Amino acid sequence: MALGQYIGIRRFGLLANAKWSPPSKEVRGFMNCDWVQQNITLYLYNELADDARHELEQHVARCISCATELNGQREFQDAMSSLAVPDVTPSFLAASRMRLQESVEQIQPHRAWYQRLAFDPSGWLRQVRFSPALATILFLVGFGGGIGTMYQAMSGKATAPSPSAVAESSIAPVEGSISGITSIQRDPASNQIKVQYDKLTPESVQGSVTDPKIQGLLLAAAKSGENAGVRMNSVDALKGKSDDPRVRETLTYSLRYDSNPGVRLQALEGLGGLVKDDIRVRNAVLDALLNDSNLGVRSGALHSLEPVKADSSVRMALQQLAKEDPSDYIRQQSKQLLASMPNMY
Amino acid sequence: MPADAVAVPLTISPVTPVRDTGETCFVTTSYKRGIAERAQIRMNDAELIREAQRGNHAAFEELVRQYDAPVLRLAYHMTRSEQDAQDIYQEAFLKAYRNINNFRFECSFYTWIYRIVTNLCLDYLRKRQVRKEDSTVVSDGEGETYDLLDQVADQRSGASPEKDLMRRELGGRIAKALNKLTPRERMVFEMKHYQGLKLRTIGDILNTTEETAKNTLFRGTQKLRAALKDMR
Repeated sequence: MALGQYIGIRRFGLLANAKWSPPSKEVRGFMNCDWVQQNITLYLYNELADDARHELEQHVARCISCATELNGQREFQDAMSSLAVPDVTPSFLAASRMRLQESVEQIQPHRAWYQRLAFDPSGWLRQVRFSPALATILFLVGFGGGIGTMYQAMSGKATAPSPSAVAESSIAPVEGSISGITSIQRDPASNQIKVQYDKLTPESVQGSVTDPKIQGLLLAAAKSGENAGVRMNSVDALKGKSDDPRVRETLTYSLRYDSNPGVRLQALEGLGGLVKDDIRVRNAVLDALLNDSNLGVRSGALHSLEPVKADSSVRMALQQLAKEDPSDYIRQQSKQLLASMPNMY
Repeated sequence: MPADAVAVPLTISPVTPVRDTGETCFVTTSYKRGIAERAQIRMNDAELIREAQRGNHAAFEELVRQYDAPVLRLAYHMTRSEQDAQDIYQEAFLKAYRNINNFRFECSFYTWIYRIVTNLCLDYLRKRQVRKEDSTVVSDGEGETYDLLDQVADQRSGASPEKDLMRRELGGRIAKALNKLTPRERMVFEMKHYQGLKLRTIGDILNTTEETAKNTLFRGTQKLRAALKDMR
């Protein structure tokens, strides 16, 4: 059997000196074979205008030569489609996303000057979190300063600060925590060292979740808190306020990216009532259903999606899960949801 | 000129990446709903972009998730290498992230991100052409190499050995024929035939006219048919 016969290619004939030309009134008025054969590709790719399409079909029905050309082009396209390029697997896509996410966290978008000046508490917390060198410096300075103060206090030799130090700052650096040292300058003449630093004094604040200051802190803690307990408490406090777009965005972020399944579950609980009205929330819950590593989060997502089970993307996901999910529970629940749906067709 | 520095007129051309064949009816039967959905998507995109421009990291992640699968698919088809496709995917979205504040809503985010990724793919193909690589051997993410033709056979494991052999031969011929196209012809053919984009959208993405995209497609198709004409 010849290769061409196997794939159904009987003719890959080419048009002599052919060049594609746009439809013109003259040609269209008297549809000729040249025009038809030059536009068969566009016809098969559904790129011809409706009237030109109709005329081409009429012509091909009565012209053997053009019908043969049409078959040849169709078979060529079928042959090209038979080159099965491996598709992107979910794991390949997930690996690519993970790699991108890591890179995005390390860079900042180009910002206008006024945006650069704006203070972003969550970004700042992230910076502190990911700066081990800064943490080491803080520790050493704090430790050294503490020893020095203790020595001075015990020996009773504490002296008044020099006039020059007083001139710069009335508070000794060791009295508060230092959040960062911005510059160190040494004056060779006087052998004095000038250290410029920022202070971070522990504080607490109390108020209701509707208080903008409290809410701002909760939003920052939900995204950047190093302690999973802090993040969970923040999300728990925020979940009743999911009507607020900023809270909603933070809960969506936690559902997608938090490393702790408990936090993700809390976020899911907060978002549950919004899947019907907010497409972004629905997408995040759908993503959790398909990709979350925790079965509890996945089954929670499955139940959250019940009000929108007729949505085409949700239906497709349910069909996929009912067919091939490794978890018996998810498979069974997906089947039940699908069975309870009205017949769409 | 950087890929993301080009402005194009606002267009409401169909930008949904749906194959023309088979799935077209899905779009056309609910034409009005399709327009409304696209308008909704664009509105959602606009909100996400504005949020991302304000520095909202999650909004950018959401944008990525909406567009990254077709972007990765395009890069994978063009490079036939998981590693290279991932590099292009990564570079495209990092470029988008760095320049999100320069996005002026003069085109859809879809066109913008596709413009970035097609430029990266064209650069890749040009470099590969210089290296004269036309092998059908591809590599996966773990550096393992395999022949594309083996993959073609694997996917039809139910077929007879004779058919497998013929399919491999056909796959090899097609891969070589595709490698003979110019990068631009290859890109237009890929976006039309394998990704199912409209020629008007392809023109927008490649910063050219629909007519030029048609000519490029026609030229590419003719070359492919010429390369495969003896397959009878």
